[in-house]
Amino acid sequence: MSKKNKQDPRLPDETFEPYEEPRLIPLPVYWIAIALAIWGVVTLVQTSNAGHFADKERAALGEKTASVASPAASTAAPDTGAGKALFADNCSSCHGDAGEGVADAIPPLHASDVIKAGGASAISQIVMRGIGGPLIVDKANYDGEMPSFSSVLSDTEIAAIADYVATDLNGMNSTVSPDQVAEIRTASEDMDPWDGGAGLASLINGLPPQPASENASAPSPEATATASLASQGTANIWSCASCHGDKGEGTQTVPRLAGLAPAYLAKQLHDFSKGTRISDSMAYVAKSLSETQITELANYYGAMSSPSGAQPALKGDLARGEQLALSGDYSKNVPACFTCHGTSGIGVGAQFPGLAAQQPAYIAHQLAMWAGGARHNSPLGLMAGIGKALSDEDRRAVADYLASLPPAAGNAKTALAVSPTLKETTNVQ
Amino acid sequence: MSSKHPSDTTPPGPDSAKGGRTAIRAILAVGGGLTLAVLGSLVLEFGLAPSWLTGQKSVPAASPKGAMADLFTPPPESTIPNDEFGASVRRGMAIFTATGTNAHDFVGNNLSCSNCHLDAGRQAFSAPMWAAYPVYPKYRSKNKMVNTMEDRIKGCFTYSMNAQGSPSGGPPPYGSDVYRDLQSYFYWMSKGLPIGETPDGAGFGKIDKPALPPSRERGAQVFAANCAVCHGKDGLGQTDVNGKTVFPPLWGPHSFNWGAGMHKASSAAAFIQHNMPLSEPGKLSAQEAWDVATFLDSHPRPKDPRQTGAITLQEADKKWHKSSEDFYGETVDGVVLGTGYPKPAPAAN
Repeated sequence: MSKKNKQDPRLPDETFEPYEEPRLIPLPVYWIAIALAIWGVVTLVQTSNAGHFADKERAALGEKTASVASPAASTAAPDTGAGKALFADNCSSCHGDAGEGVADAIPPLHASDVIKAGGASAISQIVMRGIGGPLIVDKANYDGEMPSFSSVLSDTEIAAIADYVATDLNGMNSTVSPDQVAEIRTASEDMDPWDGGAGLASLINGLPPQPASENASAPSPEATATASLASQGTANIWSCASCHGDKGEGTQTVPRLAGLAPAYLAKQLHDFSKGTRISDSMAYVAKSLSETQITELANYYGAMSSPSGAQPALKGDLARGEQLALSGDYSKNVPACFTCHGTSGIGVGAQFPGLAAQQPAYIAHQLAMWAGGARHNSPLGLMAGIGKALSDEDRRAVADYLASLPPAAGNAKTALAVSPTLKETTNVQ
Repeated sequence: MSSKHPSDTTPPGPDSAKGGRTAIRAILAVGGGLTLAVLGSLVLEFGLAPSWLTGQKSVPAASPKGAMADLFTPPPESTIPNDEFGASVRRGMAIFTATGTNAHDFVGNNLSCSNCHLDAGRQAFSAPMWAAYPVYPKYRSKNKMVNTMEDRIKGCFTYSMNAQGSPSGGPPPYGSDVYRDLQSYFYWMSKGLPIGETPDGAGFGKIDKPALPPSRERGAQVFAANCAVCHGKDGLGQTDVNGKTVFPPLWGPHSFNWGAGMHKASSAAAFIQHNMPLSEPGKLSAQEAWDVATFLDSHPRPKDPRQTGAITLQEADKKWHKSSEDFYGETVDGVVLGTGYPKPAPAAN
């Protein structure tokens, strides 16, 4: 119609409306249009500011972690105040606020005969590499796993902690310099955790008697075949490492697998295959795996120890995250993460996976998926309630805190039995 | 608006009048638009907009404790003073949350105070310590005497912590620092509550009587469906790779003994309904809570420490376990309950 009108506006066409001209657009339409325009502009300005702000925060965080990660950045002599704070942040959740340990589970660091024999240097060695297996401290038996802190603490920080434990908790006159810790770091690159008390005996002179080693045997040929499956894949199975990383450390929303309980990993693969946990790529992979392959891959990653590949990246409030992880927020019916997932997030049994050093984007994403119902395979639906109770800030806070923890060591003892009679399901459509 | 709006019948006037009207309309349009924008942002600011419009869940609605908002909130941990008294409060809290480590000589099982007194003794309806502290000393029919807080804690060690199986063989002696530090912690936590009045949220709360008599068979099903994930299919709890107890044993040699309050189905049912499963309190109906509490009670556990010397199981049953809801002295699945274990097993491995 407009075309005709424009040709000669004086000549009304057959759709001429006699009331059209005096009926102006009603004012409310203008109001809404103007209000929307204002809202649009304000929102635009706000979101672009927020993005800018977030970038700045990330840059600041990056600088901070960079300075922490590089031992050369800070050569100032560590004082015990810093050591005490670092101890509270990194050691006390397992060893207790005063280094008292946990009876029959975690050795004390306070007035400990092992530390008195080894001093600050031995503490640095253990913090750097971790330790696992039978150990006797103050005549009490322990058989646990302490993770390596090499990927989450700098040389300066390890030196400060070692000095604090040696001097304040054990009354020794023994210190270690960041340079000495740097040497230990170089020397212990890629080395397994200390093999319990037997391993420490080679490090510390005058160590009280220690139990014999329970060292695991060399990897079986199947394990090598599984390693190849994980790193190379096959013609129709993608390699795990192509997304989860060479050392199973994960990235972004792809989770860390190293050190998770085999029974948990196997259940997730089954859930992907059945569709009770939803991910197109994982469903594709899981459906092409045989039962035996699932078990072997689960055991492979369960036994794998690797450095942390995660660090806080979501601008979360680490103090709030620590509170949620250690104490929970009962006003929201959120128990502490560690109440079920174990001290320091090392995982418990088949149902409660390890959380330490998990990728923060993955944790926050999964929590949001529990809340929204996109993920729904947790026992009793426990995680759905917790996911819903957490705010977006809480999810980022707790994800960032968990990313700052040292990864749990792999544990071959929890391996699933590979049954040769399991039927092969490779050809399921 | 109709007064300023050109009427349908009036033909367009001269240009000047038309221009005036356009100006007025422009002012009205911009003014109204601004007002609308301001009103809209105010509505959003004060959270009056319906959630379907904003796409956000309103925070108060997400909190399941709306009705419990008027309960006492103990002070945050960060307010513990940094002096000698604060040090005692912190030691008390450490004993409370890791009892087997920090009161090692007096604990004969794998439990901590905070296994039942949730959130380090702060959670309402899980017998919070801030609700207990203001009402002691008081007379208790259990031991037929006026109990100070120290007496009361001694009872906890004797029964719930099974002190008979501990390295020292008994609860902390009167005057022990264990009592001193625990009481400091409770006192600090109760700041501001009136002495002598029982606050809301005390004890395990009330639970309705079950419609049907509690049944351990139904309870076994409730247990398998709701409890076994954490406490284990065998009810003996779970430890982490280091051997630290993560989920407490509900029965067996490393749980509370037959004298503990939690062995009574009424107490356990109230605790369970108001607190279990963690993060989903209230999930179980009163009937389910009673059933599973009864199932819990029908398992062996360390013996009642009051049954000593010449007192037989039958005499102890008559004297301290009259209640019909109690399995003490009965034979379940071929096991006589209440006999305990040959000799107190060491706590943990």
